Amino acid sequence: MSKQRPLEGIRVISQAIVWAGPAASIVLGELGADCIEIESIQHLTRTRTSMRHPTPEIMQGSFGTAYVNRDSSEGFWNRQSNFNYAKRSHRSVTLNLDSERGRELFYELAKVSDIFIENNAAGVVGKLGIDYETLSAINPRLIMARFPAFGTTGPYRDFKGFAPTMEAVGGHTALRGYRDSDPSMTPGLSHGDPNAGVHVAFAVQAALIARERTGRGQLIDLSHAEAAVHHMAYFFMDYSMNRRVHGHPGNRHPSKAPSGVFPCARAEDDEDERWIAIAIDTDEQFATLCEQMGRPELAQDERFAEVPARHAHQDELEPIIAEWTRELDQRELTDRLQAVGVPAMLVARQDELLLDPHLEERGFWVEVTHPEAGTHRYPARIARFERVPIENTTPAPTLGQHNHEILVDLLRVSEQEYGQLVEDEQIGTVYLDTAT
Amino acid sequence: MDGGALDGVRVLDLTQGVAGPYATKLFSDYGADVIKIERPGGGDITRRIGPFLDDAPHTDAGGLFLDLNTGKRSVTLNLGVESGQQILRRLAAKTEIVFESFRPGTLAGFGLDGATLREVNPAATLISISNFGQDGPYRDLLADDFLLYAAGGVLAKTAAPGREPLRIALYAPLFLVGGMAAAMSIGAYLGARRNEEGERVDFSIMEALATSMDRGSQHLVGLQYSGSYQMTPESIFARASALPGGAYGGVYPCREGYINIIVYAYWWDRFCRMIGRPELIDDPAYTTRLTDPEFGPEIDELFYPWLMERTNREVMLEGQAAGIPVGALNTMDSVFTDPQLRDREYIVTLDHPVAGELEYPGPPFRMSDTPGKLRRAPLLGEHTVAVLSELGYTPEEMVILRQRDVI
Repeated sequence: MSKQRPLEGIRVISQAIVWAGPAASIVLGELGADCIEIESIQHLTRTRTSMRHPTPEIMQGSFGTAYVNRDSSEGFWNRQSNFNYAKRSHRSVTLNLDSERGRELFYELAKVSDIFIENNAAGVVGKLGIDYETLSAINPRLIMARFPAFGTTGPYRDFKGFAPTMEAVGGHTALRGYRDSDPSMTPGLSHGDPNAGVHVAFAVQAALIARERTGRGQLIDLSHAEAAVHHMAYFFMDYSMNRRVHGHPGNRHPSKAPSGVFPCARAEDDEDERWIAIAIDTDEQFATLCEQMGRPELAQDERFAEVPARHAHQDELEPIIAEWTRELDQRELTDRLQAVGVPAMLVARQDELLLDPHLEERGFWVEVTHPEAGTHRYPARIARFERVPIENTTPAPTLGQHNHEILVDLLRVSEQEYGQLVEDEQIGTVYLDTAT
Repeated sequence: MDGGALDGVRVLDLTQGVAGPYATKLFSDYGADVIKIERPGGGDITRRIGPFLDDAPHTDAGGLFLDLNTGKRSVTLNLGVESGQQILRRLAAKTEIVFESFRPGTLAGFGLDGATLREVNPAATLISISNFGQDGPYRDLLADDFLLYAAGGVLAKTAAPGREPLRIALYAPLFLVGGMAAAMSIGAYLGARRNEEGERVDFSIMEALATSMDRGSQHLVGLQYSGSYQMTPESIFARASALPGGAYGGVYPCREGYINIIVYAYWWDRFCRMIGRPELIDDPAYTTRLTDPEFGPEIDELFYPWLMERTNREVMLEGQAAGIPVGALNTMDSVFTDPQLRDREYIVTLDHPVAGELEYPGPPFRMSDTPGKLRRAPLLGEHTVAVLSELGYTPEEMVILRQRDVI
């Protein structure tokens, strides 16, 4: 028997949208599940686009950075990088869930699926009649994961949450920040999104295992904010134990010193600054760093010799290091310091990752040809599986690409009805002009 | 329905630090039996990291350790000697998944490389978590979570314009990585059962951060699609025009505390209602300039006075009532009193023989039938005797092992 991917034969239907949803999708797709994205031509899949007719002006802004050549001609929603990255190996079907027949078809699909994941706003599935109570009555073996911003219960349940919102509520924003400024200078982050998504991917697999024992599915509820609070565990526990509230650390560490980001030399055509991150673990590493700087005496300087003193005097130490690094190339300096056992790492720029030799050798990239977006490099897999490789090479679907396969072949809708649904603009592959 | 989802799944956990232990914590909290192997005398490095009650260090009362290792069983084992390695192999023979986070090559030195594991237990899956992966030119570089964050290309994005890149909260990237590792590992385990052959997973923290941290993958692909970055310090930080159709947003001070807000141009009516200025909804002095990136200060003039009359919680409630994503910046004290977290009973109290009763972050997701359950973290070596008895060692044999510094 040939080897199978872990989730082959498991069917996942999803409305896994925006940022957290696709982070769950990519895991399940890589693991080999039959993933079907439930889309619609009446309502825009926000992962593909939030606008039906973006103007050229809008495409010139940050909105357009996700689209091939910033081109908004028809079908642009099939040429969007976020969707095309995360929904590889997925199939796409469009349904009109506002119609009775559309809902019926969704129920048919739920009957033959194992997992349904959705991160719509909390009230949506109830309104559409596709909540867990309804679906589990139709298919008691169905596992459903709901992950709206704040979870499905509680006073904030219907709050709008974007990544920085959740970050703020989770306590993360307040724990980042430059030492010399207030939170208004703290740039936003979105790591709560992938965090929510990967937890959902873990949770539904755990539910598959539980189902072997119980014969039933169950409902999973995840709040992005809660899942992200955990990342502050060190600070959470300090409050739990000592009622201590931490302020902005900048790039400093509770005990390592020095720890920070230092400027490096810029080439003439460099638009941006170049930086190197250094985080000293031991006195020995500090002494080596001082040697490299040509300042061996600093290792004996009473301000810096012992760890607590060094930690207390970082304001004096950092400028000394910066003065030295400023003249040096970030890559050469990284190699040089690593070679003598000093932890240092250049701050990589995104475009350089595309050509990074380490990632190249690791087989991190794979070329995928998408019928409308073209050929590009994509991260091949999240982790490398040796026995049954999980490189994700099947391009993401275009809108409604698998309508016929799913409706006619899988759900046994008649060819006649299928044709009617298309003619009536209930399903299709092009967003209605009025789609919102 | 009682019991955890992963009841009956056995995990042999050789990891330490944050990423590996968070991954195995997820297995533990959702019902797996996780046997944690620790070095005699010291144990996991997080036992030394703290924080500590009243800043008094104690091997069994480090806050990060207590949180990361809920429900696991601790066995102290000296992996540097043949007798210890024998015990390790006997444990590996009776497990489903082995996790390790040693520097690449170390595990083989402890007598349990992939080939040996296959011999003692062909069905067992091995998950190896390392900074850069098990091979490649960076394999042996020194790095902590901060440096890995730098290597993953994300640190470059998170700066205020004109300033140095700014790190994310301590260890936060490693928690994300642990979650990713758990999601892939449970998949590997499912695959191993299906194929009746243990999988080998090579998990690189740098790769994980490059793909996932702050939409890394999407940006790398998007860069190829359009030639431009989706996120730059300017775009993240911009008060206006960063988002489709223009938007105003960021962190703002209130009378007490701060909020984070995003207002798209097409929510101008909501914004006006929120600040009690409905007459501005159709005012062309504003409506004609909403997508103008230079327009921020005029909106500030409307916004700040309103903010200064309210606490951040009040602003959040009023903003959300108007349909705008507003989040009050919680500091750890207000996290502990946050109505949403408390209503959902997210914060959990656990008792511990050394650390006493403390509050902990709860399980990260809820399962209706097989809920996650937090059980306290183990004392160092607390379960050595029990686990070795399960293997068939007698008390006399265990005394000998202890005397010879094997356990």
